[in-house]
Amino acid sequence: MLKIQNLSVNYGYIAAVKNISLEVNEGEIVTLIGGNGAGKTTTLMAISGLVPKASGTITFKGVNITKMSPDKIVKMGICHVPEGRRIFPSLTVYENLMAGTIGNPSLKKPQIKQLLEKNYELFPRLRERMKQSGGSLSGGEQQMLAIARGLMMDPDIIMLDEPSLGLAPIIVEEIFDLILKIRNAGKTVLLIEQNASMALSIADRGYVIETGNVVLEGKGRELLANPDVRKAYLGG
Amino acid sequence: MEYLLNQIVNGISQGAIYALMAIGYSVVVGVTGLITFTHGEVIMIGAFASFYIFQYIGNNLILGIIASFIASWILGMFIYYVCYDRFFEAPSHISLICTIGASMLIRNLAQIYFGPNQKPMLNIIDNKVYRIGVLQVSLMQIVILITVVVLASILAFFINNTRWGIMLRAVSQDKKAAYLMGINVRKTAMIGNCIGCGLAGIAGLLISIYYQTLQATMGGSLGMKAFSSSVLGGLTDTRYSALGGLAIGLIENLGITISTASFRDIFAFGFLITVLIIRPEGFASRKGAKSQ
Repeated sequence: MLKIQNLSVNYGYIAAVKNISLEVNEGEIVTLIGGNGAGKTTTLMAISGLVPKASGTITFKGVNITKMSPDKIVKMGICHVPEGRRIFPSLTVYENLMAGTIGNPSLKKPQIKQLLEKNYELFPRLRERMKQSGGSLSGGEQQMLAIARGLMMDPDIIMLDEPSLGLAPIIVEEIFDLILKIRNAGKTVLLIEQNASMALSIADRGYVIETGNVVLEGKGRELLANPDVRKAYLGG
Repeated sequence: MEYLLNQIVNGISQGAIYALMAIGYSVVVGVTGLITFTHGEVIMIGAFASFYIFQYIGNNLILGIIASFIASWILGMFIYYVCYDRFFEAPSHISLICTIGASMLIRNLAQIYFGPNQKPMLNIIDNKVYRIGVLQVSLMQIVILITVVVLASILAFFINNTRWGIMLRAVSQDKKAAYLMGINVRKTAMIGNCIGCGLAGIAGLLISIYYQTLQATMGGSLGMKAFSSSVLGGLTDTRYSALGGLAIGLIENLGITISTASFRDIFAFGFLITVLIIRPEGFASRKGAKSQ
């Protein structure tokens, strides 16, 4: 569904991503793992059009989106839940969710209502805090709001950038449960994680990225068992 | 006592005009995220647009308001494309300096085309004065208050209750996240900027009716008043900026009751400095907002 070929991104003289190729098929959970500065976030930002690409092509559902503007890419059905959540702090929870629907102009009022109900079912705590401002939520709730906001545009693929960052282990488990639920609801998921063992255990396929290159790829379980991966990311 | 009460009435009506300027200012700053120094020139263009409409088409306040709004909207587009559009990623002082340059350009062009001298504004509202007890309220003051309240309410409705308002607020809070919501950030920022300018233009019309004069260089001190009012309200909060404008209008008019009218600005800016020493964040206390 999403195909990235020979993508390179430079920040000034520094090459953050070098010739990365990867593919995400419909209905899969694909994870990109790697240490700090490996180029995972940059890859996602390049897909969303937030950073200029030095070379490479990105196609989504057969359409070349390499040179599209960020807002048009979102309207193609690609949702990007950014690192650090980036919810709108002085908008209420409800308004944050409504902001999510802007990315899909084909949604009509009854559909928006349905999506809202679905999301409140998935994230019951958001319903309780509907009228509270986004900035007053706890970290875990903000992450849930960020994911729910992304789901409000009813995307075909949802890209999650480190959803477990800075959260308590029990909430991290909750988030990973949610990711499985989202996939089971028919969405494709591209997941970036530093928590490699968690990510690989739920992923269908994974890519290991190091200093801007894909060094390994394979099925989630296989990577989890791979001695190199174990040594580098899972502590032996 | 009577004089003081009437000065309060004057202060409120003048403060209402400052409030409208400040609301426009905080919309511009909020949505672009950058300080502007062209606001005074936008106010001036608004005043001149209605001046020429009154002169050549007729004394119709509504028509004047529309003309001011459109003229300052167009100027706002010019300012947006010159000063902001390409500089969102650049350090913020670049667009700041750019707005200073644009304001000089506009002011000097205005002096060439409109003439450097003061012009008398036509008296388009009857000089009727109503007496309520000891209070004297002129029809003009009532019209000004109504105009400001109506415009502010329309803006508040749009910002708080429509999808379009959510877009505008999303852009003003986090541009990157707004992109990821599928919002066309550049277009939204442009429209927001133009709305802020349009309101300032109408405020320019009101202040020139109030003083019954206008001048190509009037923007300098009025722009600073708008800026000060907005700073008092914490720069991006429209409600508190309006309060700031009202406060400055009141302080000015109360100040000149105990001194002379030429000390007007001393009271306005003295008040600003005093408030900022005591409360550097202005009147607003933002809850749940991340520290910038």
